[in-house]
Amino acid sequence: MSAPILQVSQLTKRFGNLVALNGVSLEIREGEIFSIIGPNGAGKTTLFFNIIGLQKPDAGRVLFKGTDITGKSPHKICHLGITCTFQVPRAFANMTVEETVRVGAYKRYQGREMSQKVDEVLRICELEEYRHQRCSDMGLAHLRRVELARALATEPVLLLLDESGAGLNPSELTGLMDILHRLNEEMHITLCIVEHVMQMVMSLAQRIVVLDHGEIIAEGSPQEISTHPRVIEAYLGKRVVC
Amino acid sequence: MRRSRKDINRPLLILLLGIAVLLPLVVRSNQYTLVLLTTILLYGVLATAWNIIGGLAGQLDLAAGAYLGLGAFTTGTLLIRWNVSPWLGMVLGGLVAIGFALLVGYPLFRFGVKEVWYALSSAALVEVLRVAFLIWNQVGGPVERYLPYHEWSLYHLRFATYLPFFYIMLGLLVLALLIHHWIRQSKLGYYLMALGENEEAAEVLGVNTQKCKLQALSIYAFLVGVTGGIYACMYGFIHPNFFSGPMSTEVAILGIVGGMGITYGPVMAAILLVSVREFLRANLGGQLEGLYLVVYATVLILIALFRPQGLGPLLRQAYDRLLARVAKE
Repeated sequence: MSAPILQVSQLTKRFGNLVALNGVSLEIREGEIFSIIGPNGAGKTTLFFNIIGLQKPDAGRVLFKGTDITGKSPHKICHLGITCTFQVPRAFANMTVEETVRVGAYKRYQGREMSQKVDEVLRICELEEYRHQRCSDMGLAHLRRVELARALATEPVLLLLDESGAGLNPSELTGLMDILHRLNEEMHITLCIVEHVMQMVMSLAQRIVVLDHGEIIAEGSPQEISTHPRVIEAYLGKRVVC
Repeated sequence: MRRSRKDINRPLLILLLGIAVLLPLVVRSNQYTLVLLTTILLYGVLATAWNIIGGLAGQLDLAAGAYLGLGAFTTGTLLIRWNVSPWLGMVLGGLVAIGFALLVGYPLFRFGVKEVWYALSSAALVEVLRVAFLIWNQVGGPVERYLPYHEWSLYHLRFATYLPFFYIMLGLLVLALLIHHWIRQSKLGYYLMALGENEEAAEVLGVNTQKCKLQALSIYAFLVGVTGGIYACMYGFIHPNFFSGPMSTEVAILGIVGGMGITYGPVMAAILLVSVREFLRANLGGQLEGLYLVVYATVLILIALFRPQGLGPLLRQAYDRLLARVAKE
């Protein structure tokens, strides 16, 4: 078993009276595909935002490779090697695909090396033919890949994907899953996917945690999770005894 | 196609610049036309500078008058009190503008003041400074302070004709355009465009949005501050009304009408709109007070209705079409 790359301990986030995260602890290991699932409003995106630095937790700590990154700004966390894609694509509408990816590539490269990085990432995400197209003219499936491409251009060690399969048709989904597989196998990027699409989670993830009402209710392999009584309860409701 | 486009662009720009340089020869010693042309250039510079913070970085800044006034007062006061040459004065004025921009920009960006709130805060700055300089009798006060008169003095930047100011302003415009062009192609430019589109997404991709916005604001403030120094010398006096709210708004309007972020857009908007405004003022001003503003506003509304993207993209399309036709023949 490989070493943990990200350790989240006792993370708590409140919005007024609502406790969005209640003492969440989890560990992501180097090189794995980790998944966070849970019903709507379980706190998945909040967990994401608190790891990536877009929100600051009220309590708890986040350690990345042993260094405390709790409450650091996102650009610093990106520099250390964590970035993410968003649930609703936040495209740079007036920029072309190539320009968008450049923003990411500038993180670690300049000049010619930067252009090479852009080419490489566009090839991986199969976006070469769209490079001069403006993001405002693209459909959802492509926008999700543009988000992935610009995140990849920053050369993350750990990539967080927030529902990147949502709204895609089966063939688009397979394409995306192929790309994600390659990122993990060939580029050794640790992936953490927050997902609703069960098909994607079950075939990609090696370990899964289930979040419900801001707490972790189960953890294990896809097989263990799919038969876990508390998971079934969270998704389908309690069995009525009569 | 890309290559040939570049080959045509440069000679075309040099041609346009040549026409601009020769323009005063056509109008000869008509001072009114010279002032008008210089005013167009002045607005061109201001709107091009605005295009960095407003167009690229997407921050609706309404404080151009604040930086213009600071530049004018620094240059003017240094010249009146200590006989410091405005050439040095305008650079110092630009630096004072940067200092003020950082002083105000740091807390604004630190606490995430954005969008309309940023617009309102920056607009308020202009008025705050205007009132402060009205009260501050040692430097400002309610009476105009006149710069020393010289028939022709390069050291004092004072001339009996507007002709030198036309060329100085033209030089500054070329400088501003080059700076904008250079930024747009640089890492800073990409970062500014990204944060202007979506700040959180830019942060996640490693963009220090706060720092980038401060850099953009500083460059803008410096250019406007320098322009303020020349503005003071051109009109020969300084007055707290130089901290002008309407002028600040107009600069933003030119930037928006020109097409956000497009290098030549604001200049085109300045040429068109300032000419229209001055033409209307000259022809309608005597008939009914304020009528020219009604017509001017109507022109703006029409542009907003039919060309919400601004004039820049329209110009670019026409240019592309022209190039395609030339290439065909």
